[in-house]
Amino acid sequence: MICYSCNEAVKDPVCVGCSALQPPGLALDPFVLLGVPRRFHLDGAAIDEGYRAMAKRVHPDKFTARPAVERRMSLQWTASLNEARRVLKDPDKRARLLATGQAEPREKGGPKLDPAFLAEIFEWREQDEESPGALSDLARVREGELRAELDAIFTAWESGAGDLTLVEDRLARLKYVTGLVREQVQ
Amino acid sequence: MANIGIDLGTTNSLVAVVMSGKARCLLDETASPLLPSAVRYDDGGVVVGRDARDQAAAHPERTFTSVKRFMGRAPADCVADAALFRYTMDETEERFVRFAVPGRAPVTPVEVSAEVLKVLRARAIECLFGEPGGAVITVPAYFDDAQRQATKDAARIAGLEVLRLLNEPTAAAIAYGLDKREHGVFAVYDLGGGTFDVSILELNDGIFQVLATAGDTHLGGDDFDRALGEHVLAKAGLDRRDDADHRELLLAVEAAKRRLSDADEATVTVGGATVTVTRADFDAIIRPTVERTGAACRQALADAKLTADKIDAIVLVGGSTRVPLVRTYVGALFGRAPYTDLDPDQVVALGAAMQADILTGSSQLSDDLLLLDVIPLSLGLEVMGGVVEKFIPRCSTIPFSASQSFTTHVDNQTALDLHIVQGDRELARDNRSLGRFTLRGLPLLPAGIPRIRVEFLVDADGILTVNAKEEHTGVEARIEVKPSYGLSDDEIERMLEDSIDNAETDVDVRLLIEARVEADGILTAVQKALGIDAGLLVPGEKEVIDAVVNALVLALPGDDRKRIADLAHKLDEVTAPFAQRRIERDLTLALSGRDAGEVGKQLGLKDSVARGTLDHVPGEKH
Repeated sequence: MICYSCNEAVKDPVCVGCSALQPPGLALDPFVLLGVPRRFHLDGAAIDEGYRAMAKRVHPDKFTARPAVERRMSLQWTASLNEARRVLKDPDKRARLLATGQAEPREKGGPKLDPAFLAEIFEWREQDEESPGALSDLARVREGELRAELDAIFTAWESGAGDLTLVEDRLARLKYVTGLVREQVQ
Repeated sequence: MANIGIDLGTTNSLVAVVMSGKARCLLDETASPLLPSAVRYDDGGVVVGRDARDQAAAHPERTFTSVKRFMGRAPADCVADAALFRYTMDETEERFVRFAVPGRAPVTPVEVSAEVLKVLRARAIECLFGEPGGAVITVPAYFDDAQRQATKDAARIAGLEVLRLLNEPTAAAIAYGLDKREHGVFAVYDLGGGTFDVSILELNDGIFQVLATAGDTHLGGDDFDRALGEHVLAKAGLDRRDDADHRELLLAVEAAKRRLSDADEATVTVGGATVTVTRADFDAIIRPTVERTGAACRQALADAKLTADKIDAIVLVGGSTRVPLVRTYVGALFGRAPYTDLDPDQVVALGAAMQADILTGSSQLSDDLLLLDVIPLSLGLEVMGGVVEKFIPRCSTIPFSASQSFTTHVDNQTALDLHIVQGDRELARDNRSLGRFTLRGLPLLPAGIPRIRVEFLVDADGILTVNAKEEHTGVEARIEVKPSYGLSDDEIERMLEDSIDNAETDVDVRLLIEARVEADGILTAVQKALGIDAGLLVPGEKEVIDAVVNALVLALPGDDRKRIADLAHKLDEVTAPFAQRRIERDLTLALSGRDAGEVGKQLGLKDSVARGTLDHVPGEKH
């Protein structure tokens, strides 16, 4: 990239030559923004560290004496940075982002759930009628299993094996069973 | 020009500035830093401060105190408060609060606050021997969008440039944290005259971050006075008082309250009777009020996902924290004694001054400090059935942006209404209505086809702006904002015109300086570019540019603002083709396979200009 202000080559959000803030266009990827590796298994402290380092460079308070165009860009940078941290701190959003390129489900309510999975839940409900509490216990167990499965998928992927095709479906199932647990608690 | 910090308080207001690396409050002619936030509208003019406060009993119908409680609020929500302060609200106005004043036009809380700010500005001018640069003004962390906007409006009317609205507890933490260089987690307990809030902040690696904030915008020392007043009346066997007596009683009990911070007992004389109040009586009287602060403290801890033992220090803010019971209560709640080194009345203004100094960019304090605040209440949209769909959750770090997509329900629908609310209740009607937005000019398409992307941006002051675009056609939807409560821009403009302090000469001077700075920037960039890329000029172009440059250089020291601006504009115009050629050349180089680093090297760009305004795309404003 070339600095829009002094034409010097820039790699950073802020031009080394003339300290003009650059447009945030290319750096909106949360992993790039926070300077952390593109992995599921991330250190929370590393995310915070990357966040603080970048915030110090792009926050509006650092640009109060700069031209209006830079003040506006600084607002966009920092808003993106705050969003990036929110996404990467949430394991489910982080997983979805790696698998689909988006932190939020593509369609409202997520992808269609497997009929076999729904049939199983139906069975759980029947069991719950006979012995109350069974549904919430079963859902809790399944929640743990799904998390372990996602963990395994990403561990394999991070070491160069396997792919992420199942992730979106597993996240949808996870959302469903955590919903069940919450519903039963209430 | 030094930047100033202002604590615009319910009861008292202060202005502070950093001088020689140290923050201090500016004093009035009696050597007091406190300006009572009291305003009296006389026939002859406006009286602000101690005189207005002390004479309130003699002029109850034209004196206003505690107007901060009414800032940016809906008239319907203020009826009880107005009755409490015996103010006569203008009931014909539904959108903003307006108080009747005998013999003159009604006034809004924004205008009353502006009078207080004008006095602080004048004090700054006097102490600094000149106009202050910009101001950082503090607001309770719990203030919603409308209340923040109202505060900014007041500053605008007072002729102050607002650099930043800063949350009061954050300002207090800056004052303490910077002084002591502490790292850790702070709780800031701020009990003022009329508002209470508590915030949990983390200071780490030079960054202050508000983790959570909670509070009650209607809880404070005024409530102690009122409770004590009722007690005294009951003890003296007196009935409900009329307006003047009521004010007198409040002044008397307030003095007694102050004495009880040091003494074991105090007497109040009212209606010929003298009532003795012991510290134990007083503690019992105010305990229910003090205990109401506990719920907010627990809420803030829960939001920050912390327990009380994780708090490294507690900072006390607000005059009401001088009350011994409050100190004991806070100490017990958090399991450690609160900090009391700095004057609780001054600590917020001192922190605001430090932040104002940091925002100059040339601060001696700490270049490395950065403040990250959060939005106190969730922002949401009213959807079907009056339910709220939150798009920015409470305690999100600001600035923050979020976007939502909408579509139409009938064919060829050209407009869409959105209702934005702030708060954390499930139903829209239980939350604060911020505004109704109408998107107009949607393309004619069948129902369900348009995708209207609405972007919400909360800036670093916690104030919301909205943009909308139809995604298929790229049509920008026009947004009509109707603030549910508060003043419109036109109303602010009118108040600005009414404001005598904004004399035309002031404005002229500012505009002249702005024109010079702008022209200087363009000039520097042009000269720089000519030095590097003279080879890109076409025959005859240099002569034209030189002529404009010379004329501008001559005009710059003069005070003909229009001529400077015209010449700067002209220079921009005559150099636009040249700038365009430079951009095209750079793009060609960049696209021809070499990386940006090489392009830079080849262009021989090593040094830099401080500010370039030449290299813009023609037609774009800067």
